[in-house]
Amino acid sequence: MRVATRTIYDMVKFNLARITEQLNRANRVATTGKRIATPSDDPTGLQQTLNIRSSVSNIGQIRRNINMGKAWLAASESALNNILDLISDTKALSVQMSTSTTNAEQRALAAKDVQNALKEIISLANTEIDGRYIFSGSKTDTTPFDQDGTYHGDGNGFKIKIGRDATVEVGSAGSDVFQPSGAGSNGDIFRTMNDLKNALEANNVPGIQQAIENLDDLFNHVSVKISDIGSKMKRMEVKENILQDLKIADTERLAGIEDADITEAITDLRAKELAYQAALASSAQVMKLSLVDYL
Amino acid sequence: MSGIGMTLNIAATALLAQKYGMDVTAHNIANVNTPGYSRQSPVYSAKIPVLYGSLVIGRGVDTKEIIRSYDQFVENQLMQKRSGMVSSQELESYMKILEGLFNEDAETGVSSLLADFWNLWHDISNNPSGAPERIALLEHSDLLSRRLLDLDAELSSIQKDLTSSISAGVVRINEITSQIATLNGLAVEMSGSRSVNDIMDQRNTLVSELSGYLDIKTFEQENGSITIVSARGCILVQENSSYGLQMGGSNGDRVQWQGSNGATVDITNYISEGRLSGWLDMRDEILAKYMLDLDAMSKEFIWSVNFQHSQGVGLKLFQPGTTITGTYQTDDGKLDTLPFVDRIRLIEDGFKLWIEDRTDPDDPKINSISIDLSGLDISDSTLSDLADTINNQISASGLTGVVVDGSGAAIKFTALEGYAFGFSDDDSGILAALGVNTFFHGSGAGSIGVNSVLSDTDYIAASRIGAGGEYTKGDNTNSIALADLQYRLVEVSQWTCDRADGNKAGSVSTTIESYYHALVGSIGIASRAVSRGRAFYETMVHKLTEVRDSISAVSLDEEMANLIKFQHAYSAAAKLISVSDEMMDTLLNVK
Repeated sequence: MRVATRTIYDMVKFNLARITEQLNRANRVATTGKRIATPSDDPTGLQQTLNIRSSVSNIGQIRRNINMGKAWLAASESALNNILDLISDTKALSVQMSTSTTNAEQRALAAKDVQNALKEIISLANTEIDGRYIFSGSKTDTTPFDQDGTYHGDGNGFKIKIGRDATVEVGSAGSDVFQPSGAGSNGDIFRTMNDLKNALEANNVPGIQQAIENLDDLFNHVSVKISDIGSKMKRMEVKENILQDLKIADTERLAGIEDADITEAITDLRAKELAYQAALASSAQVMKLSLVDYL
Repeated sequence: MSGIGMTLNIAATALLAQKYGMDVTAHNIANVNTPGYSRQSPVYSAKIPVLYGSLVIGRGVDTKEIIRSYDQFVENQLMQKRSGMVSSQELESYMKILEGLFNEDAETGVSSLLADFWNLWHDISNNPSGAPERIALLEHSDLLSRRLLDLDAELSSIQKDLTSSISAGVVRINEITSQIATLNGLAVEMSGSRSVNDIMDQRNTLVSELSGYLDIKTFEQENGSITIVSARGCILVQENSSYGLQMGGSNGDRVQWQGSNGATVDITNYISEGRLSGWLDMRDEILAKYMLDLDAMSKEFIWSVNFQHSQGVGLKLFQPGTTITGTYQTDDGKLDTLPFVDRIRLIEDGFKLWIEDRTDPDDPKINSISIDLSGLDISDSTLSDLADTINNQISASGLTGVVVDGSGAAIKFTALEGYAFGFSDDDSGILAALGVNTFFHGSGAGSIGVNSVLSDTDYIAASRIGAGGEYTKGDNTNSIALADLQYRLVEVSQWTCDRADGNKAGSVSTTIESYYHALVGSIGIASRAVSRGRAFYETMVHKLTEVRDSISAVSLDEEMANLIKFQHAYSAAAKLISVSDEMMDTLLNVK
């Protein structure tokens, strides 16, 4: 084929331009370490990247939720454990006071202990975290219990989200924990403690014995509540572990899509550099030749 | 004619012819770098011989014509492919700009802002009465809205830029066509003479430049002029007249052809090659699609958040003495001019309006009315009708304290002194459609924003009013439901924009985040396709140019050889003259 003069120069320009473009891209990948700089570099990869990032962000948030939930549950557990101790101490005291070897004076003194225990229980029932009451149901700004045991919260527990369709109740309704069979009944801890105090002051042994029975039931009830909290915490820990693993898997996937294999990138860069040098050398040679020089 | 005189004549024709050949070679050498130049060669033929007795004697050489080495077929192919290449180059550079707009690496990318939006609803769920969480949500939602508004504005501004480019292109097209018309006139006048070749080359260059702007077909006429026809059969150049294009249409963005009889024809959707096609594809197909898609996504996003938000209550009811104005305007109060009118269901159990009577501050009483909307007609009723319905039902239930005003373009709910109000259980969607107790205002990417009522962050509705009228500081049922929207599948329109076939919308069931991610992915795919197309065209043009140049372009080596060839022939012819001269001398000096 006849080759015109301009064809030679056009060929040089065209090829050098193409190689420079490839060289530029290889250089960019090697320096940034990222395969994807613009959507067109890997469109499906980018879409996956965005989905994964969104998932990672969600996981981070759920973990924050779980941490908060664990703090609430821990506070509940601690309060209830203390109350359990108080109940069992009070019961032991009551048993002692119900025997015939004690007299009215001792009972009167015991009444004061019971009075103090009751105050302590009320204070524990009014535990707060960050200014919110954990036994007030959803009325977290309202003190759950008055000194006389009247409940001011409501019956809805406070829930947090620990997953897409999963919530956990971390704040309970105080009426459910401390007055399981209704306010003022035998299952009302405040009423029971108050009745016990009165019975001790009045030297009323049957009253003390009734109180011991109630305290037994209450002990069991509170224990159940504590183990309930325990299982919730376990559930959240399991969830947290799953999320941790998920996050690691996601991060790896993300790196796999986004990050360039450095060895590959550098090798590619060297190859393109070499090609560029060869093209430059040959172009320079070809452009020098012309019949005009020989005439 | 006899003897030496004849030889001298022959020598003279030889000198002229070879000198002519050198001129042509010189012309070729001078134009080695002229774009669009086709090399010329002289065509010689022997003169018709004479009969001299019984002998046939030649009379020398004649320069018959100068031909241009030129292949019309290759030229046409080249022109067409170059047109495609230029179109895809323009498209590619705008696609890169578009990709830059959707840069999702930065933290201000929409994807990241959306993810954080949902996270902030979690934070509010964890502490429903906390002020910092509410303020954070408000500011972040503002940021997200602004980002969407910015995206929409930038896409729109690129469209305007493209219209300017098209406009400038049309101006240049008109210049070229009138120049071609002039050259046509000259070509017809000078046909047959040598300089017509240069005129044809010039005309070719112009035609080539024209084909870079839009699709054209050229027809060579017998008298040497060319007729140029463009999209939709519009004639651009005929003989020495040219017919121009102009920008027109209601927005000044359509390309129109001005016919000879004054009629204008809109050729915008028929231009399929050249820069104009690239620009029009970018503006009317690609940018149009992404603007519509972004808008559709924003619309669904706004609706789902608003619908859920309007079910709830904030940390306080709407206070005594306040007026809540709906964020959506109507035309003349007609309900069917609301942007979300198609989501309203006028049912019996429309929504619950709660009114708290605080006239005795120590003993507030709260009551609810279930508003029945079934008496209204979606295509006929106005805001006044709606207001009357609600007001009547309020007084019919024996309550007072809230007045609804439907006389303006937007609805107003006013709490009288001593009364507060709230909403719940809106199954009709009317509150969200009116813009009452909603989170966002606006109906798309060009109008999204946070409802100004929420600048009092207490009104962010994280809770719900219970069946007995109670609402508590620790109730997070509404904010949990709002956080759940992240996973909810919604129906969002997805557009295909084609200049020839028009804009069509399909529908896809997806989460808001997935839709956006798919949108960015599709931009990447489109951009890649354009880049590949451009690379393909560039290679084609390169190859065709090689072929064209091998036929028509000057090779300096060749011209150098020709130079020597003509020089030798010239010297030989000159030698002829000196020999004839010597012979003449010899003859004259015979004694």
